[in-house]
Amino acid sequence: MDDHTSLRDSAEQALAWMKSAGFDHAQAGVSQSAMTELNITLNEPSLMRSTELRKLSLVGLLDGRRAATELGALDEASVREAIAQLFMAARSAPQDAANAVSCGQQAQIERGPAEADAGLLADKVAELLQFRAQETPRMMIEEGTASHQRQDTHLLTTGGSELRCRRGWYEMTAFGSAHEGARTSSFNVAAGTSAELASRPAPDWFGIGDMLRDTSQQVDTRPLDRKFVGEVVLTPPAVEDLLGWLLGQLSDTALISGSSLYRERVGQIVAAPSLGLRSRFEVPGVAPFTADGFAPGSVELLRDGRLLTLLPRLYGSRRTGLPHVPVAEGGWEISPGERSRGDLVASVARGAVVGRLSMGMPAANGDFSGVIKNSFLVESGVVGTALSEVMISGNIARMLQDLRAVSRERIDTGATLLPWLQIGGLHFS
Amino acid sequence: MSLQAPPWLAGLGYSELRRHELRKSRMMMVDGSLTQNTRVSEGGTSARVYRDGYWGFASTPATSAAAAEKVAHRAGQNAQAMSRFGARAAYSLPEGHYRGEHVFRGKSTLAQQEIVDRLSALHAWCQQRYQGLKSTRLVVGDEHHSKWLSTSHGGESLASIQRALCQVTFIAEGADGAPVELTETLSCKGHLADLDWSLESLAPRLDELHTHLMAKCQAVAAEGGLHTVVLAPPLAGMLAHEAMGHPCEADIVLGGAVTGGLLGQRVGSELVTMLDVAHTFEGAETMIPVYVDDEGTPARDAVLIRGGLLTEFMNSRETAARLGVTATGNARAYAPSDEPLVRMRNTVILPGTTALSDMIAGVDNGYLLMKTANGQADSTTEFMFGISLAYEIRSGRLGRAIRDTTLSGSAIKVLQSVDAVSDDMHWSCSGYCGKKQPMVVSMGGPALRARAHLGGQ
Repeated sequence: MDDHTSLRDSAEQALAWMKSAGFDHAQAGVSQSAMTELNITLNEPSLMRSTELRKLSLVGLLDGRRAATELGALDEASVREAIAQLFMAARSAPQDAANAVSCGQQAQIERGPAEADAGLLADKVAELLQFRAQETPRMMIEEGTASHQRQDTHLLTTGGSELRCRRGWYEMTAFGSAHEGARTSSFNVAAGTSAELASRPAPDWFGIGDMLRDTSQQVDTRPLDRKFVGEVVLTPPAVEDLLGWLLGQLSDTALISGSSLYRERVGQIVAAPSLGLRSRFEVPGVAPFTADGFAPGSVELLRDGRLLTLLPRLYGSRRTGLPHVPVAEGGWEISPGERSRGDLVASVARGAVVGRLSMGMPAANGDFSGVIKNSFLVESGVVGTALSEVMISGNIARMLQDLRAVSRERIDTGATLLPWLQIGGLHFS
Repeated sequence: MSLQAPPWLAGLGYSELRRHELRKSRMMMVDGSLTQNTRVSEGGTSARVYRDGYWGFASTPATSAAAAEKVAHRAGQNAQAMSRFGARAAYSLPEGHYRGEHVFRGKSTLAQQEIVDRLSALHAWCQQRYQGLKSTRLVVGDEHHSKWLSTSHGGESLASIQRALCQVTFIAEGADGAPVELTETLSCKGHLADLDWSLESLAPRLDELHTHLMAKCQAVAAEGGLHTVVLAPPLAGMLAHEAMGHPCEADIVLGGAVTGGLLGQRVGSELVTMLDVAHTFEGAETMIPVYVDDEGTPARDAVLIRGGLLTEFMNSRETAARLGVTATGNARAYAPSDEPLVRMRNTVILPGTTALSDMIAGVDNGYLLMKTANGQADSTTEFMFGISLAYEIRSGRLGRAIRDTTLSGSAIKVLQSVDAVSDDMHWSCSGYCGKKQPMVVSMGGPALRARAHLGGQ
């Protein structure tokens, strides 16, 4: 009996126990994962870490009432005890006709390397440290990792859904800051996932080398001497903040509570015509199934700035009456533009290239203000000094409309494939 | 229940064996619908070995003696495998061990039915009392960690952490038709049964929340730039944690944080004293009591700033060895599969002697900052945190509410500008600190008056 047969047996058994406990509908998902991780601390290899995890996720519906639980112990006594508690939890929940489990979903997915190549991980650590020492000696990599992860999942529902997945992927991260004497840069980070790491040197993955080079030039910074309204060229890590806010606006909590700005905007222009956004759920490192038991297809969210769909889950859909659109946890790409990122910067009259946005949660209406980190001043199209203690403020919904250009270059981190964006109308202070 | 380390483990070098149980529950009710009703229970055994200058770590979800044997063996193999990077001198890790048990004995846990009934009653009460709300979001949850630890230095301990929270979010429509929201959060040590979230207790706080929300619906944008600000007590705790706490973690210091060269120097006004408290503050146990850390080090308070002078950092065994100081008991791991990192525990700025009302009255043109959503730190001590509730201060009196904004600055410059510290205190333990792993921490402080940057037009 292989591991996956065992997972299926565990899920099937749990589902049978839930049915016999009296649940009307149920979902049982079993996952097993293993990770091998090499760590860098303070510019040196430091730790090898091996972890194994196992998880049983159960959702039970009883007379329209819902409860969920996760547990790590899969022995019969533990599972039966968890089901008994789940039954009590469901029985005490309020009735809600929107509760349901997935029906008729069938998928079997295998992707990525199943086994870790520890030698490859060690090579990537060595390459990264060698690059740092030779090309960016000012950098201190405070934390870095090269890892392989494998996750096997089997999910069943009483509605006849059966989703099976075996996936493996590699991951690298580098986090640190640059130093020269007593002067120090802000910290910076680059990370991503891929099916393989062998085809390129470590610094060429996920923008890691660019991050190390840029940060090395940010030891000497200065604040702005006055306030102004200007432009930003957001690097892909900063673009991720805009993306996160937009996705939140289109999802269950905002749609149900009525705080979404886009609830009634499907089919309308909500962003500049140069903006296109679609899913890439098929990449390694992105879970191919949703937590509520669906295998999402591809989704096009924005085309030429027009909003094509909202993203309610099954519950949100049934609660709001909006069409259900399953989406994975991550996996999005913004279409490339036609101009180079150098062109974008060269056309900025006054503003900044923004490496990272450090900000509070943007308001529901999109208002935000944040400190721009790892950023450079731009005047008359020329990149100048690195900045410190500079804030920008604006409104993210407005920024999507005020987008002036999209770069043709993009950074692929696995979960995202994002370009540089040039946006005007930001308040610098 | 005790934990037996395999006898051969100590022969590998410094080692730890940990069994860890983690239970969490969370319910969210949006406009009367229970959109989240989840319990999580995970556990496992982990081992970490320090051998020839390298660390090896392994974990498994199993908790048997055989599992302990297996992960100990694997951790030793992993440390050995690191020798492929070349021979390396090992640090002599500080001695010190802890033997004992610390388990919080709170009230009996609430039944699921009672929690749901109370959420439903709270929702109905809010709907009836606060006309015109667009939406009400209620979140309750608790989290419980138990860690059995055995170390090669002779440590044998059981430590537990429990915390509970209740959040009430009101959403209304602003003057421009856009949604405006505001959240009130309560937190405590223990289970939900230990948290006073009764209607009687919540009513005055929610009345106040609603009043602030109505003011925020008419809010104006803050004027961007450097201002005199009065940070209400909940923000001072965030300032302590984000602005100076992180740059005083010894691994960040070793990474080149600017604090590394400032020991003994002035980093705040003489009114500022800041600690990372281990387990007891002014005679009472803290919200996140750490008597022994996850390396088995007996935990002690770390006095980070005394009278404005930077005095020491928070250390694990390894960072203490690298810096030639004593370990403070700050090595903590979040999940059963996580290795210990240098983390804060209960970070606090000590109260002063000025009344908050006098601090506001002394501001000619500035802002009162009352609520924060989240924050970030930097190795430069430049920090930011989101401000979700604030008012103008004009000629010593509160003016209009301002829209969501961000506070930022160099922590050292901001703390050096502190010219008043209030005589009251606020503690909370509702959030997570993020640093490779999440972590449960508490933070506390009085109100501070200082100069800092606000985002705005």
